[in-house]
Amino acid sequence: MSNENNETEKKVLTTTELLNNYTGSIQAGLDNGTKYVKAFESLNQTTELPDLLTAAVQLTNYQLNTDFVEFPHQFSDEDVQLVFFERLLKLSNNANGFGISNAEHVQKLLCKFGSLGDNTFTFTKSTKNPAGFFFGPTAHNRPLFYLNLKNKELMFHGSSLIDYFVVDLEGLEVSAIKQALQVMIQAAEVLKENFGFKIDFNVLDGVNGEFYEFAAGKIPEPILDELFVKSADNQYILMSGENGGAALTLDNDTKLTVFNAGNEDRPKWGADIHDNDQKESWLNLLLDYPFIKDWYLDNKKQLEILSNKIIFG
Amino acid sequence: MDNKIENDPFSQNDTILSSALSEKVKYLSDLNDSIKDGNDLKVYELMDPNRFATEVKGEQPDQPKANFFGLAADLKTQLSHHLSNKLIDYLGTTYPFFYYHEYDLGKFNIYFGNWWDHRMFGELDAINVQFNFAEDEYNTLSKSFELEAQNKRVNDDQMRELGQKNEKLTQLIEDQNKRDQRKEEIRKQIKENEEKSPMPWEAGKVKEEHQQLQNALLELTNIDEQASDGRAEIKKNENQILALSKEETIYNLEKQNIRASFGSFEAFIDNNNNLYAKYLQSLSKETQVTDGE
Repeated sequence: MSNENNETEKKVLTTTELLNNYTGSIQAGLDNGTKYVKAFESLNQTTELPDLLTAAVQLTNYQLNTDFVEFPHQFSDEDVQLVFFERLLKLSNNANGFGISNAEHVQKLLCKFGSLGDNTFTFTKSTKNPAGFFFGPTAHNRPLFYLNLKNKELMFHGSSLIDYFVVDLEGLEVSAIKQALQVMIQAAEVLKENFGFKIDFNVLDGVNGEFYEFAAGKIPEPILDELFVKSADNQYILMSGENGGAALTLDNDTKLTVFNAGNEDRPKWGADIHDNDQKESWLNLLLDYPFIKDWYLDNKKQLEILSNKIIFG
Repeated sequence: MDNKIENDPFSQNDTILSSALSEKVKYLSDLNDSIKDGNDLKVYELMDPNRFATEVKGEQPDQPKANFFGLAADLKTQLSHHLSNKLIDYLGTTYPFFYYHEYDLGKFNIYFGNWWDHRMFGELDAINVQFNFAEDEYNTLSKSFELEAQNKRVNDDQMRELGQKNEKLTQLIEDQNKRDQRKEEIRKQIKENEEKSPMPWEAGKVKEEHQQLQNALLELTNIDEQASDGRAEIKKNENQILALSKEETIYNLEKQNIRASFGSFEAFIDNNNNLYAKYLQSLSKETQVTDGE
């Protein structure tokens, strides 16, 4: 009984109180808008990388509308990622022709690489994680990498990169493809060096000894037979390696080794690459040596390089 | 029968016996010293003095030299292990494409090349300095050289046959629509045939036509069956072709390597046949050089 009375008492507002609440709510909505604008200005104009990251994280999943104030024109979270990505590359002098390509209106922003012609790319929000975004070509559903600014993660997706750059873009100059790949690699490097991002370079990793794990687990011998025959047709000799593995010495002393990193009972087949400059990656080999590409595509089901299953699965 | 024993009918006396034993003791002691000194040349001479004299020194002895190797014959595997060290070093430069695996004390498998799926090519006999090639492997290589002169390969016929089979199967699969159309036509014709009510003198002809149509239909459905198994068959054949190309790739590498080291298969054979002499002469040169220093 007494509770009821209290509530009734609470609901009775004077006109002044009512109007105070009203203006207060609008002011809060406007303040929220101001905060948003400040963050957006920083995203757009700051020349400091840390401020850029802070702004992007702040703007991602920003609740701009309130009950009292709504903003009809808004950039999406995907757009925020793309603006961040473009500015990150420009501020670190790594853009190399990369840029947002349709900045005329407030809309879904797209971007282009300097070397890849009219192909456009964009970010798409992950359905599993609101702070996670996939970057990929607009014409194909291929997540080339996953970016999560809040958790400081960037992960490349091996088989999508191969499907797109090796298969979809077949016929394009290899140097043009490599230039675009380099832009993405540089972006990841900048994030790693400046903010300690966790990066999975996957098939782009040029560090010697990086293990590219095959999907099949166990690689049947005829698949290596095929590599042996194709190599010999191209004047390279596949050598017999340890534990049933094999090794191929390519140009400039680049050495590709295919081996079982597990054991007989729990096989874990994959490849690694050694080169003097620690630059050659799995993807580079597929681009530089058509016979390795053919071999990979002929046996894609087994040879597909595994990526993070939780993020991309 | 002569029962007297005071006059030894075999002219045996202890001096002779003792000297024979001394010779044996000296033999074993020489062998032992040669092993300790790492003088493999001497070891080979002690193991087979007659072969050594004729093949290495080029001598034609009137009488065979005494051979005491029987005394150490039970140590063959140990000797083989010992001798293999220098021998394999030497073979490493003269036959750079052979690799050896000591699978048991003093017993060596030969592998041709270290490329993918290299072949086991027989055994190395370090005591007699010779290759005992596996017959099948060696014959295939020999055949591959022979055919190469005629611009052919060992597996050509088989590969061509499989390729043709696959072409045929692919065609069968591609022709499925045509066959379906043809079957439809035949079924129509059969129906027409069955609806005929022929005059008695035509009945035989109509019946015969019916049978022919049935046969044609059966033949087409048989082909359909082949076509439906075709994809699996094609894959199977492709795998076989791959296995055969792998073999050819291996033969090619073997031939390339033999040519790189010897110029021709004949020169390779010739060198194999004279391996004992060549190796020991090279050891002898080495010893002279070392002595000279």
